[in-house]
Amino acid sequence: MSVAGAPATEDIHDLRRRLAEAEDTLRAIREGEADALVVRSDDRDEIFALSGGDDAYRAFMEAMDIGALALDAQGKLLYANAAVPELLGCDAGQLQGKGLATILGADNGRILSELIGNAAAGRHQTQMVIGAGAEQRHLVITAAPLRLAFNTGTALTMTDVTARARAAAAQESERIGRAVMASVNEPVIVCDRKGIVINANAAVGTIIDFDPVGRRFDEAFPRIFPIGSGVMHADDLVVIANDGNALKALEASAPFADPPKELLVSVAPLTLSGEAVGGCAITLIDLSERKAIEKRQSLLMRELDHRVKNTLTMVLSISGRTISGSHDLADFRTRFTSRLQALAATHTLLADASWAGLSVSALIQTELAPYVSSNGPKLLTSGLNFSVDPDVAIALGLTIHELVTNAVKYGALSRDSGTVEIAAQRLANGMIELLWTERGGPSVEPPHEQGFGHTLIARSLKRGEGTGATVEFHPGGLMCRMVVPSAD
Amino acid sequence: MEESRPLELTLYVAGQTPKSVAAIRNLEKICAEHLDREYEIKVVDLKENPKLAREHNIVAIPTLVRQLPVPIQKIIGDLSDIEKVLVHLQISAAA
Repeated sequence: MSVAGAPATEDIHDLRRRLAEAEDTLRAIREGEADALVVRSDDRDEIFALSGGDDAYRAFMEAMDIGALALDAQGKLLYANAAVPELLGCDAGQLQGKGLATILGADNGRILSELIGNAAAGRHQTQMVIGAGAEQRHLVITAAPLRLAFNTGTALTMTDVTARARAAAAQESERIGRAVMASVNEPVIVCDRKGIVINANAAVGTIIDFDPVGRRFDEAFPRIFPIGSGVMHADDLVVIANDGNALKALEASAPFADPPKELLVSVAPLTLSGEAVGGCAITLIDLSERKAIEKRQSLLMRELDHRVKNTLTMVLSISGRTISGSHDLADFRTRFTSRLQALAATHTLLADASWAGLSVSALIQTELAPYVSSNGPKLLTSGLNFSVDPDVAIALGLTIHELVTNAVKYGALSRDSGTVEIAAQRLANGMIELLWTERGGPSVEPPHEQGFGHTLIARSLKRGEGTGATVEFHPGGLMCRMVVPSAD
Repeated sequence: MEESRPLELTLYVAGQTPKSVAAIRNLEKICAEHLDREYEIKVVDLKENPKLAREHNIVAIPTLVRQLPVPIQKIIGDLSDIEKVLVHLQISAAA
């Protein structure tokens, strides 16, 4: 029952409910819980977005992959879309709490600060790297002035260019790889997994005279047989690398090369990306020169051994003969030392000449130097410009030593007026004849017995038919005729 | 008797405004995670047909209306405060 003129209880209840509803609607709008309103008129109802423009723009920004940020005039973060924390590897709360500069780190923070400073005058762009290792990202950051209600802030965009940077790095790496291959002196061949040559540097031209690119490795380099590796076929090298294994420094023969070569072969799997084997790199080092050096070294060692034994035998002989011809120990020491010095002088000359042929002129000058000046009036030489072999040089050196010491003690060089002439000429049989002639010395008489010097002179130069030395004791001076083979 | 009847909810939205989109997403989540009774949901896009707002006297969007069980209850907003939604509309299993 309701009293006339007074609202019924239900009406009051309805009015209260509608009032509560209206208040709740106003509160919701005031507190931003609604973003659209229904506006009713007599003829039609319309929907109005409360802040449609900004929200649509913000929704658009949120949908973008590019990071978008707005900073106020003090650089404080006003807004960042969802892409920003994802790009920076943090969550939105951390970004808001710590601030952009802190999240970026000290160095990048300074770059950002500089960028924002420059952006006050217009759009600026920079690039930075954040994170490390596999998580490393390359970001291009663009800054532009942003007009705010009461001042000007900064609008920033962040673009992830990691893929582009990695592609550029890979391209650069490939370029460097090719440059390295081109500059390596040793032949390097790169094959794909099927054994097809996909790259070969210029040094490969020292082994083959054609471009192997596009051919199978075992066709381009047939019959490479690494010695003692169990590899029987050139193609086995590719198979080994495809299995992820490497072979190092296998000696191999390359009979197809002109001239045939000995090679040092290495093969390694080529890892192009990740762990996958994309082929192999094969290095062929030419051992021919090294082998020749090793052969020469071996020969020299044998030659040295031979010479040392010969020299020791000669020293023993000199020692024994010197003892028998010496008056006492002091005399022995003087003679023996003198003969060893003569031997050593010839050895020094031979060592300087790498034990090849030795100039007779140099040899004679060396042996005579302690006793007579080669430029002085007491020595006359002629025709000495020829060479002798090492064995002949040693014997000739000792012979000259015996002749000059004898001349100094008893012969022409014991007098101021004495002279020695050494004259050489080539004989009809190709041998060289050397004549040692003393003049102006005391009168000479043949010795009663033959000493070591005479024995050495008579024997040591004997090198087959027609060679050797003879000594004649003329009253006017000693004469020695030596015939030796020429090395020329 | 009313408890046995399906819960009837109508969500009024206005196209793809952020809060309309969020309200749809949040309502789906509430139904999936908090309702263990039968329910019917109707989503009304007032941008398509504004006159439909008159049935429940809708002014602010988005608004969720519980038609059944009576009395009708309304909540305005994107429904992100799930506890508030459950208490206000008394639609949780515990309610």
